[in-house]
Amino acid sequence: MVMKRFLALVFLVFLFSVQSLSVFGIQRFPKPEFESGYIQPETLMPAPRAEMLALLDIAVLILSLSVVTWLVLKKRSRKGVFWMSLFSLAYFGFYREGCICSIGSIQNVTLALFDTSYVIPLTAIVFFIAPLVYTLFFGRTFCAGVCPFGALQDLVAFSPQKLGSRINAVLGVIPYIYLGLAVLYAATGTDFIICRYDPFVGIWRFNASFGMFVFGGLLLVTGIFIARPYCRFLCPYGVLLNWSSRFSRKHITITPAGCIQCRLCENSCPYDAIDIPATSKNPEDKRTMGRKLIFITVLIPLLIFAGGWTGSKLHEPLAGVNAKVRLAKQILNPPKDTGKPETFEIQAFKSSGKPQKQVFDEASLVLKKFYLGGWILGGFIGLVFGGLIAGRIITRHHADYVPNKGNCFSCVRCVDYCPVK
Amino acid sequence: MKQKIIIISALALLLALVAFMVKDFFFSKPENTNPYEFGLRQVRTGDTATAAFAETKQIRTTLEEIHGLATNPSGNIYVSGKGGVEIFNPSGNPQAKFKIDGSAQCIALDETGLIYLGMEDHIEIWNKEGKQLAKWNSCGADAVLTSIAVRGNDVFVADAGQKVVYRFNKTGGLINKIGMKDPATGVPGFIVPSPYFDLGISRDGNLWVVNPGRHSFEKYNFDGKLLSKWGKASMAMDGFCGCCNPSNFALFQDSLFVTSEKAIERVKIYNADGTFRCVVAYPSQFEEGTKGLDLAVDKQNRILVLDPVKKLIRIFELKNK
Repeated sequence: MVMKRFLALVFLVFLFSVQSLSVFGIQRFPKPEFESGYIQPETLMPAPRAEMLALLDIAVLILSLSVVTWLVLKKRSRKGVFWMSLFSLAYFGFYREGCICSIGSIQNVTLALFDTSYVIPLTAIVFFIAPLVYTLFFGRTFCAGVCPFGALQDLVAFSPQKLGSRINAVLGVIPYIYLGLAVLYAATGTDFIICRYDPFVGIWRFNASFGMFVFGGLLLVTGIFIARPYCRFLCPYGVLLNWSSRFSRKHITITPAGCIQCRLCENSCPYDAIDIPATSKNPEDKRTMGRKLIFITVLIPLLIFAGGWTGSKLHEPLAGVNAKVRLAKQILNPPKDTGKPETFEIQAFKSSGKPQKQVFDEASLVLKKFYLGGWILGGFIGLVFGGLIAGRIITRHHADYVPNKGNCFSCVRCVDYCPVK
Repeated sequence: MKQKIIIISALALLLALVAFMVKDFFFSKPENTNPYEFGLRQVRTGDTATAAFAETKQIRTTLEEIHGLATNPSGNIYVSGKGGVEIFNPSGNPQAKFKIDGSAQCIALDETGLIYLGMEDHIEIWNKEGKQLAKWNSCGADAVLTSIAVRGNDVFVADAGQKVVYRFNKTGGLINKIGMKDPATGVPGFIVPSPYFDLGISRDGNLWVVNPGRHSFEKYNFDGKLLSKWGKASMAMDGFCGCCNPSNFALFQDSLFVTSEKAIERVKIYNADGTFRCVVAYPSQFEEGTKGLDLAVDKQNRILVLDPVKKLIRIFELKNK
């Protein structure tokens, strides 16, 4: 009885809260009509969302993560994960038009850290942190059934091919570079490049430019043969999930008990994320191991420094896409008289009445940020290459077929191949 | 072999996509043309042959600036502007001209032929011989008087600065204010972003006021009760364009509205219920940027359009009478 009353109360509160939304819907000033025959530009972000609906998004995210995690770890159900991924595709993809998404939230968080005037929405924080927290405990269940990017690509993975560890390792560097660039451009307030090159936003919203439609379409075509190409070789958030997942204690296992080395699961993973047993009959002697260790110890700092130095040297081209730097460049090097009209930036600058000195000062400040950012980005990329080489040199020994904790999307495909029940 | 080809092709496609991102982000040149520019060229077009009216006459004025236009029952045309008032007969021949101090933004005539001039912040009354008969008090430091209408003993004045309509008696005594925002009576309040705020009195004895920010006409009784309204915001021909339009109007054949707009300079006729009826003049017939196309209708049902840029009174007549 008490429970019923409580539920009724919750329902009424919800109902009246929804009613109150209409208060904000009153037209206080009719907006002029500027749409007849006008082509609206595509925006990176959809229209703002009511606060309550944003909270609903958070609730759906947490609930979806919980359900998928339960399906992966407790039920070990591929079917369940598949249906959840369809739900996520419908909700976070088509209904929420891909925004906010965890991948893009990297930029919101970065900007909030570097620009105190930016007020980060609560949804951005939760969408950034919640999947990482779940991954830290349970592996990449977010990728399995909550991320709409993964869900869409999973639908077209008809004929996935094995790429081999070398190709996987080399292409696997791209997301690190993408992450580094995304953080650099968000930190300097230049651009949200993850959103700019979101390949599927046009599919979610049915309104992308032709180029981005083609881009998304070709990525899906690639996805027929290389399963989840965006997740594996582009996704910058995947880098963070990869790191978190390596520490997960409750990660999915292929077999619920002991591995019987039947090899049935060996080719079951479309993402090449199963580590096959690596046992060495002739273990390396201590001297060889020592040499390798010294080599790596010397190589990684060298690569970091070389990367940082190169990054710092490239800070001007990197900053060239910043609006302030681009404007300053155009003022300094006006285009030769080609009869073409001036660029928008120059037109806007001239009509603003802003002094040139102010533009140069602002550009100079941005360049300084990029100089430091170039060092950090280059050093980070150097570290990634160092890690890649180290990974190739050092052999990790294990006896069973196990999911690679970093790369495994917890999709549960491999589980069905295991005869051990 | 086949598998290798598939893998190599798929990898090449993937790398091509990455290359596209890099090229697009780092190497695309700044554009000189804006594909999303809000160009008015498309809506500024219109074939004058399809207009219901044709321009039959132009009368050149001699004032430095022209702002207000009115006609009297005998068809004479009155133009007010900077430093004076000019009067023409229906054929366009000058009849009289007199000087005034300042600039008369709007003009109206009463039944006796007296001339009411809106002088930015106050009203002046003159006779047609050029004698000033009265000068009322200022409506306030923020007043920008843009339109006058006289009916019987009532003088209605639109103040764009203070976004209100005053109802005076003929001696300048304020009777009441009309159109101030009042949620209790449903009066929405006037939104007047620019100094174009027109009013007129219909044959049935009600006051019509343009609410330009809402792109609508509002009908009030003389006590200020809102009776009805109509209007549609649209760049298309059947609506009112931009931030705030129409800029001017005149009542035509008892129940029709002749309207003029700025930004997209066009003159149109609407039925009494607000449905679009026909075009009088297309934007192509005016200089781009022309504002303040004041309107009047004479006894021959000709539509008079004040063209402040060309300093003309342009007369339009129905093509198929």
